[in-house]
Amino acid sequence: MITEEFEPMTDTVEEEASVEACTKCTACNTVCPVARSTDIFRGPKALGPDAERFRSPQEAAVTPGLDLCSGCKLCEVTCPSQVSIQEYIRRAQNKGAREKGRSLRDWVLGRTRLLGKLGSMTAPLANFGNSNPLFRVLMERFVGIHRRRPLPKYQWLTFERWFKRHPRPTKSRRKVAYFYGCWVNYNDRRLGERAVAILERNGIEVVVPHQQCCGIPAVVNSNMDLARRYGQQNVRNLTPVAEEMDIVASSTSCGLMLKHDYGHLLDIPGSERLGAKTYDIMEYLWMLHEAGELDTDFQTVPMRLLYHAPCHLKSHGIGYPAMRLLRLIPGVNLEEVDEGCCGISGTFGVKVEKYDLSMKIGSRLFEAVKAAGSDYVLADCETCRMQVEHGAGATSAHPLEILARAYGHG
Amino acid sequence: MKTDVAVIGTGLSALAAARTIQQSGRQVVLVWPGLSSLYFLFATVDVLGYPTADATEPVADPGGAVARLIAREPTHPYARAGIDAVQASARLMLEWFKEAGLVWEGALNRNFLLPTATGTPKPCCLAPASMTAGDLSRPEPIVFCGFTGYQDFAPELAASNLKRQWSAADVSAVRVTAPGYGPDRLFTSIDLARSFEDASFRDAVAAQLRERLSGDTVRVGVPGVLGLTTPNETFAAFQRAVGRPIFEIPTVPPSVIALRLFDRLRKHLQEAGIEIIWAAPAHAAEVTDGRCRSILLKAAGHELPVEAAAYVVALEDWVDGAFRAGVHTVRDPFFHQAIAWNKVPTDRTAESLFSTQPFEQVGYALTDRLQPADEKGRPLAENVFCAGGAMAGYDPTGTKSRGGMAIATGYRAAREALAA
Ligand SMILES: Cc1cc2nc3c(=O)[nH]c(=O)nc-3n(C[C@H](O)[C@H](O)[C@H](O)COP(=O)(O)OP(=O)(O)OC[C@H]3O[C@@H](n4cnc5c(N)ncnc54)[C@H](O)[C@@H]3O)c2cc1C
Ligand code: SF4
Ligand code: SF4
Ligand code: SF4
Repeated sequence: MITEEFEPMTDTVEEEASVEACTKCTACNTVCPVARSTDIFRGPKALGPDAERFRSPQEAAVTPGLDLCSGCKLCEVTCPSQVSIQEYIRRAQNKGAREKGRSLRDWVLGRTRLLGKLGSMTAPLANFGNSNPLFRVLMERFVGIHRRRPLPKYQWLTFERWFKRHPRPTKSRRKVAYFYGCWVNYNDRRLGERAVAILERNGIEVVVPHQQCCGIPAVVNSNMDLARRYGQQNVRNLTPVAEEMDIVASSTSCGLMLKHDYGHLLDIPGSERLGAKTYDIMEYLWMLHEAGELDTDFQTVPMRLLYHAPCHLKSHGIGYPAMRLLRLIPGVNLEEVDEGCCGISGTFGVKVEKYDLSMKIGSRLFEAVKAAGSDYVLADCETCRMQVEHGAGATSAHPLEILARAYGHG
Repeated sequence: MKTDVAVIGTGLSALAAARTIQQSGRQVVLVWPGLSSLYFLFATVDVLGYPTADATEPVADPGGAVARLIAREPTHPYARAGIDAVQASARLMLEWFKEAGLVWEGALNRNFLLPTATGTPKPCCLAPASMTAGDLSRPEPIVFCGFTGYQDFAPELAASNLKRQWSAADVSAVRVTAPGYGPDRLFTSIDLARSFEDASFRDAVAAQLRERLSGDTVRVGVPGVLGLTTPNETFAAFQRAVGRPIFEIPTVPPSVIALRLFDRLRKHLQEAGIEIIWAAPAHAAEVTDGRCRSILLKAAGHELPVEAAAYVVALEDWVDGAFRAGVHTVRDPFFHQAIAWNKVPTDRTAESLFSTQPFEQVGYALTDRLQPADEKGRPLAENVFCAGGAMAGYDPTGTKSRGGMAIATGYRAAREALAA
């Protein structure tokens, strides 16, 4: 064996996979939920690495069907050569939107914080409008939001304001910063309360640093510049915090933005340090458990639960920590519904022209959920939960809710 | 994260290893950075097709031939795995297929001789039942059926090639149209497989085919697209509608037959509570005092250490890009060792595309217990065991032995890991 080296060898996976790495194996096409559900979508291989060879910065982005990619990233998860398929598609979508101009709807949907502020300030009115059939017809006609898509309810008391009044624990083993995201802040404060209670129960003081929307709604509405601005604010505000403590996120896609997309998709300098200290909350709790630090004095929770693994959780590359954690709880009967993407993909399935497609993508999941029957369908991602409720008529929850129950909360 | 045994890879060898560990009752985690070469494969398990890479007469009794090979070449991966592992792994997989609802046939004492999509007879040992009516040791005439506009199977080509290579030589070709697939639509095997699950589509194809067939004894070879999620029912219904024996022929990737196999086995493991970590390639091993303490996965944002008592490294070598070749060295992703092959570049490849390629021989040198070894033959880490394509020094392509090798070494590596 020659041990002598004649050239610098780069680390195997450190290298960025490029279009050249694509072996044209078509593995990505076989898993794409959109390609499975419509024959007008040419699939990740054609729209990603294939088309990328012909894209030049000087020319307009003209790949037809580009906006049908929902951004689930299942293609990337499947690619044996680790090609950043969806990133190519995303950049091209973004370029196309910049050239053609964005619709009012996409402009608004990219700004969940603005929506959230308005929605929570006018909570009763906004919720009334969002569930009023006449208003919804007008909204479909003039804004392009499908009338049958249930919209999230806004809450008057935001998580931020709740937390300000929340008494700090008197003693703690360590601190962790919570990235709560727009969902918890404006729509589901209760989930945030649960997260805080669970962490405190385990002797961890929760810190809520000043934060901006993670930017995923802007990314998926082809506004990468806006997403980058949000991301830069978060990197600026949170990096000093990350020097002192870990950061946890309870929303799958927010967590993935902080961990990965700030650096890879949005090219935000210095974001790697923040990403390296960010954990999904279930991932973090599992680490506590393995370190022998998780309080496992659980009450029995006699429930039949189904778990739907969100697509973006697969991209985290951490397995399914929620399943591992919940299986520690006595009484829990937990099974995975392994039927792939739910179809909503954030704001994708909200749009009038994509609603039907989104429901078709999710139909396999809905059927499986209906056939299996359960007390709750669990998913870490909030839009997955909205979609299974809507499509399968099931009750859904974040896995944290079950953990909270095992600790005796509600 | 912690587990008893971590299996790196999701190919045949990794699956065989995971199943072996699962059956022992110990905890196993599978690490998956993307689909494996299982996905491209012909979709049969080839134990030994030819006694040597340049032999022209196929092996009739693969079990016996492997035993002779082991006696002849004591460092061959089959010899390292041992004849017991060869037999046990074939049993393991056949039982598993059955339990998972996959209908397969075959035994170690015989090979099927099945036509490929280009009409070449190919020896294989274990095969899906939907393929075995194509066995060329049977004399019945064959009609290959293709679909207009479908590019991944040309029945005329298959027929003309097989005519020359098969003594019975009674072969012909037909093409039928696939309803809904007009000339302007680009489609793949996956699309057709989904359509075949629809009864009206299936019956429309069968009706055209019935009209074109003459002779009672004829059997029909179709591309492997008869259903994706409900293949057993789809195959039976189509065969009934055509009224002749049908056999599927695996196509170029995406191979539906291989995909069914992979999806079913993966789900079956997951249903049994085995965790698969998606999208996280392993890229380093932490070794202290001769033992591997953890394998680092490249997760989003940070490294995820997987700490196990033992590891089965079930990589392919080239297809999945596990190894990286520089001009003068090839390196592995875990130990970052410059491994076995170091000839000058021109010697790595043979000139003809279809001859056996020297680079195929690159891989880990092994100990008798399938541990990756250094140049002196000492294990790189006591508790790491190697299975499948990443082993040095044999040519799986010419001898048609990859699948059998993958399961035998996967089984053996798992047994070693359980004992470690
Ligand atoms: C086109 C084609 C046709 C074939 N036809 C047949 C056939 O008809 N019959 C037959 O028996 N065999 C056939 N083979 C061979 C077949 O692929 C092998 O038999 C079998 O799949 C090998 O299994 P394996 O587990 O060794 O490797 P693979 O199936 O390739 O699995 C390797 C695994 O390692 C993983 N991996 C790689 N790098 C890393 C990393 N850094 N970290 C973690 N994991 C990693 C990969 O993702 C993959 O899951 C064919 C192969 C090809 C390419
Ligand atoms: S991100 Fe999802 S929808 Fe888009 S191409 Fe990839 S698999 Fe298809
Ligand atoms: S899975 Fe990856 S390598 Fe295969 S075709 Fe798609 S992008 Fe290319
Ligand atoms: S909403 Fe959930 S399942 Fe659906 S695309 Fe997002 S992560 Fe995937």
